[in-house]
Amino acid sequence: MSQKNPLHIPSPFQAQVDMTPAQKEQEYVHNVYQVIAPHFSATRYKPWPVVEEFLKTMPPGFVGADVGCGNGKYIGVNPSLFMVGSDRSSNLISICAERGHEAMVCDGLALPYRPQFFDFAISIAVIHHFISPERRIAAIEEILRVVRVGGRVLIFVWALEQTGKRDFDKDVQDVFVPWAMPKKSEPKKEKSKSRPQGIKKKDRKKALANDVETAAESMSQLAIQSDSAKDSEDQPVAQGMPVESAPMAQPVEASDTTQPAEEKEIVNPAPSQSAGPVFNRYYHLFQKGELEDLVLQTKKASIVQQGYDRDNWWCILEKTSN
Amino acid sequence: MRLITHNMLQCHVKGCNANNFPLELQEVVLEQEEAELNEDFLRNMLNKLEYEALVATCLKLDINDLPATMPADAMYNDEFLQILHRVILETHIKSGKMVCPNCQHIYNIRDGIPNMLLAEHEV
Repeated sequence: MSQKNPLHIPSPFQAQVDMTPAQKEQEYVHNVYQVIAPHFSATRYKPWPVVEEFLKTMPPGFVGADVGCGNGKYIGVNPSLFMVGSDRSSNLISICAERGHEAMVCDGLALPYRPQFFDFAISIAVIHHFISPERRIAAIEEILRVVRVGGRVLIFVWALEQTGKRDFDKDVQDVFVPWAMPKKSEPKKEKSKSRPQGIKKKDRKKALANDVETAAESMSQLAIQSDSAKDSEDQPVAQGMPVESAPMAQPVEASDTTQPAEEKEIVNPAPSQSAGPVFNRYYHLFQKGELEDLVLQTKKASIVQQGYDRDNWWCILEKTSN
Repeated sequence: MRLITHNMLQCHVKGCNANNFPLELQEVVLEQEEAELNEDFLRNMLNKLEYEALVATCLKLDINDLPATMPADAMYNDEFLQILHRVILETHIKSGKMVCPNCQHIYNIRDGIPNMLLAEHEV
């Protein structure tokens, strides 16, 4: 990327020729979370009600796995349980461990646990980061492998149909969603008026794979998309951190008002500050019914309950066979 | 990493499916840290634990408190549950290595955190 790049997208995030799905996830998911870990963690503290309810209805003494636990915000929700967290990002796991949680670094497709060990598991906002249907199913199967028959699994994934905080192009399921880091620096002048929506299906290969120019262009557009995005927990840009002077500094979510002052300082810098680097995370946005389809394709679980909450599709499944 | 977690870990290198548990602890630094006793959890663990592996692992770490076999009345044996609690929940591995007895893959533990990530060709 040239030095003129106004978005400070660092070279590690340039698209590479012939990337495998695993390499793309490394580039557009793992590397990003590794870099944004402290800032990401500072915006993640309030449990989503459906997850909290799920954990609180688990019998005392149950043993659970939080696969893709991030900073571990769900691990202490019900102290009568014993939960083990895992994440690809060692920086997020460090935060998790500092909080006294049991945590390890590992890949969701290759969990290091004995089969059928756990009474339950959760996968919150994780499966949507896998780049192909095969890998998304494999991720679900791997969770099912380590849960006992009769055990329940709660899965949350981002919805394509979300209307509240973002307005995704309904034809585009595979998108980059920018994460802007806070940073004190001179405000930038460049600003485009275009309103791109992720990567069009027909452009996906181009953008994700080879042509650096194409990728750079996609990224700039995507970053600009963050300018017009409305408020969301997943939109730190919208939480009072305009990349430029875009008027999207909406009131922060109610859940954010409990934030300690110190964290607020990070998340809501003074208006005179401009944003720092922008990192693009890959997401597969799930259509209604898509998550359930994946689950049923494993033939190892039934759907106990499902719903839509906070821009996510979620379902609770029960493992029916090994 | 608590000792309980060691008891649930196995080597997961592609193709390493037999004799991949328990991972052998080496160069281990331990630390005791008090935790609240959760009897429900301990009782639930009795069926999940690979008890023999736990005892063998403990002996290598010079932890000699556990009986060689699990008492028949373990479920209601307060003294045993206390010991079990101290061993599996209050004993932390701060650093060391875990070596697969089958493929010899080494998993490092640093700052109390095991790194179970594999290289792409190992998955």
